[in-house]
Amino acid sequence: MTGLSNMTERKNLWPWLLLTPLAVFLVVFFVVPLIDVAVMSFTEPRLTFANYERALTGTLYQKVFINTFLTAGFVTLCCLLVGYPLAYLMSVSSQRTAMLILLLVTMSFWTSFLVRTYAWMVLLGTNGPLVWLFQAVGITNPPQLLFTRFSSTLAMVHILAPYMIMNIYSVMRKIDPVLVRSAESLGARGGSLLRHVYLPLTAPGIANGCVLVFVICLGFYVTPVLLGSPREQMIAGLIGTQLDEFLAFGMGSALAMVLLVFTMVILTIYHRHFGLDKLWG
Amino acid sequence: MSYLDLKGINKSYGQFVALNDVNLSAAKGEFVTFLGPSGSGKTTTLMIIAGFEKATTGSVEIDGRPLQGLAPHERNIGIVFQNYGLFPHKTAAENVYFPLQMRSVKRAAGLKRAEEMLELVGLRDFGHRYPKELSGGQQQRVALARALVFEPSLLLLDEPLGALDKNLREQMQIEIKRIQRALGVTTIFVTHDQTEAMSMSDRIVVFEGGRINQVAAPLDLYHKPETRFVAGFIGESNLIEAVVTDPVARTASAAHLGEVEYAPTDKAKKGQGVTLMIRPEHMRLSRNPIEGRRNAQMKVETIVNYGDNALVIGKVGDLTMRVRVLGADVVIIKENQDCCISWTPDAVYLIAK
Amino acid sequence: MTRFMKWLGVVVVIFIAAPLVIVVPMSFSTARSLQFPPPGYGLGYYQAYFSDPSWLIPTWNSIIIATATTVLTMLLVVPATFALVRHQFRGRSIADLMMLMPLAVPSIVMAVGYYSYFGAMGIVHTHIGVVLAHTALAVPIAFLVLSANLKGFDRTLERAAMSLGASPTKTFIHVTLPILRPGLIISALFAFIHSFDETVVSIFISGRNAETLPRKMFDSIRQEADPVIAVISTLLFALVLLGLVGPRLVAALRNRRPRVQAA
Repeated sequence: MTGLSNMTERKNLWPWLLLTPLAVFLVVFFVVPLIDVAVMSFTEPRLTFANYERALTGTLYQKVFINTFLTAGFVTLCCLLVGYPLAYLMSVSSQRTAMLILLLVTMSFWTSFLVRTYAWMVLLGTNGPLVWLFQAVGITNPPQLLFTRFSSTLAMVHILAPYMIMNIYSVMRKIDPVLVRSAESLGARGGSLLRHVYLPLTAPGIANGCVLVFVICLGFYVTPVLLGSPREQMIAGLIGTQLDEFLAFGMGSALAMVLLVFTMVILTIYHRHFGLDKLWG
Repeated sequence: MSYLDLKGINKSYGQFVALNDVNLSAAKGEFVTFLGPSGSGKTTTLMIIAGFEKATTGSVEIDGRPLQGLAPHERNIGIVFQNYGLFPHKTAAENVYFPLQMRSVKRAAGLKRAEEMLELVGLRDFGHRYPKELSGGQQQRVALARALVFEPSLLLLDEPLGALDKNLREQMQIEIKRIQRALGVTTIFVTHDQTEAMSMSDRIVVFEGGRINQVAAPLDLYHKPETRFVAGFIGESNLIEAVVTDPVARTASAAHLGEVEYAPTDKAKKGQGVTLMIRPEHMRLSRNPIEGRRNAQMKVETIVNYGDNALVIGKVGDLTMRVRVLGADVVIIKENQDCCISWTPDAVYLIAK
Repeated sequence: MTRFMKWLGVVVVIFIAAPLVIVVPMSFSTARSLQFPPPGYGLGYYQAYFSDPSWLIPTWNSIIIATATTVLTMLLVVPATFALVRHQFRGRSIADLMMLMPLAVPSIVMAVGYYSYFGAMGIVHTHIGVVLAHTALAVPIAFLVLSANLKGFDRTLERAAMSLGASPTKTFIHVTLPILRPGLIISALFAFIHSFDETVVSIFISGRNAETLPRKMFDSIRQEADPVIAVISTLLFALVLLGLVGPRLVAALRNRRPRVQAA
């Protein structure tokens, strides 16, 4: 009998043994730094609530928060408008075409944010192809494209669209063609086919894509900082400035905590409905 | 002389009792089939023999040696799994060589032995193929060769034919029997398919609800089922509830049929509730009563034609009866007609349980 | 409506492809700064990249850091994934969720944390610091890939191996590991790429001493937009293309090899 109980005890211990190194690592190098941010937001430069007070009531900060949310919402909407037709195109074209488009999207996905941001800088630059195109059709005084809200939004849509496309395509591909054919035989065409068959069946993919794009966009640093207007910052850029230029760890931490809370609220709602592991799956 | 012994095996998962006092002996070289519906405990028993599950109480012995405490890899038991369990990263020959490799046989000698074994199962020249390059039946043969190459003390087959189509399945039944006989290995075969069990086994063990219901040779099981469950599970039958009225005259009374005479048995007691079994092929169908046989009026409801034979289903009173007739004879009746069914007392088998 | 959707799809394809395509000709330009169309074509910028230590050192740093991150990540994640996928124990679903957290927290938040925390530990602006941070961030990626692979693993194969006489250790070496190898490789590759591409945390903690390629690129784009970046972009782009098309090409070539007809 002692042998048996020994066995079961060892069995229960084994997973913990395998899990411990990673758990310790994540506590020391992920959880503690995160707690450090929370602590700093209350203690830098001294024990105070002033950081949060300023972060939540200061006009500048409020403007940045609102701007960030509006931008994230707008980028998500654009990604959906860009991604849905493409996913649809892929699902109705021949396998060869679908493969090629998928290759293009995957390639874009795997190309680093920086490279793609740089590419937009080239495209929209003062001596770039777009300006050249403007001049070729006779517009000699093209508008300023770079370092505006337009350029950063455009680049963010481009960078985040693959997330949306892959999410929607993965559910759209699974739609049974028989279902579409039977809907058509029952009289659904064009718009009504889209509304009654495609949209409901792809809803999970849409939800997935939107949450993912929105959350990434909320905390987006690189592209808005490089391509955006310095006068219209987003939260992440503002946090960076606090650290980089003002060495204001307290203020930076407080802003970071606000960003973290917003992100976590959205992800928690998602987790309740779908399960967080599906978001990146 | 028994070779494999299962003694008082019980298995429970918390409150749930999966196996209840399973006892069984098998002789060396015997082909024993575990037959039963899913969840009846047959696979659990197999896994306990293999060592993947631990019995709550009881023991397994092979050739008088208890297997208790031995890990699966120490038991020297060959298993063919339901989905074959072939290693996808190894060729057919390497798969068959694997157990020899684990027994420290040198690669060259081991691969040669593997090729010989593949030849025995009819897969000469297939050794270099990977499992995904083989058909279902071929994969099955490789799995069999792999489970036999190390001369196991016992061969376990866990529903190995389930994934094959009908023709291939029959072919493999014959093939497995041939190889098993040639090697003389004691074999336990698990299936829920009664025809498979009937055609292959020396003895069949019927499982129901975690218990052994009956152990018998295939034909005994068919003609002399000990329980109502076995009678219903093996083949088609008419099962009629009755009460014994006179054990000496061998009569029992059944609703809608009245007094029925049954075949000789020592199991009947006066006033006992029993089940009478009449196989559909032991009854005859006619327009008028036949003299010298027990007759009953039946209203035909459905006729299912199989070509060479037909199954006629109808009602005697409220009692549904099935009669099997030769295909040529089916023309004499139509659905919704009244007709006569008849049998002799020899065909009425009494089941006490 | 559907035809409209199709045309919209074509426009989107162009929108996605254009930025990827445009960098390539720019990298071969002979212009002194960004200019379209390029006045001429040459390899001047490639030469500049491969001879300039201020670009080569960050490249080398990134390779070292990504390699170390990959090794450390795999050492931590592989056993943990086995525990989480194969064992039932109390708190498993919470542990599952915790594994994903580094992916859920915005990078800039972690950057603030690492900047201060590693500063206190004295490992800010060191290779070690960047590797530790990158490992924490790569854990969920490696875990997601590996756990998907492990969930799809048919455990009958392990039972088969044991019934054939393989001890648990030998079963792991001869059966489990070889069959999981593609999943392990992909998981490691993802961890490597994640570290190699990671920008935000690196910007704040890699400093001059452990400067990574993305940090150098970020600074360069911010200050002067050095056309050498077009070269790096093209090279990275070529790597991605190779990584995506390469395996398929190898498989296609392998399948073309004559083989005995399958029955």
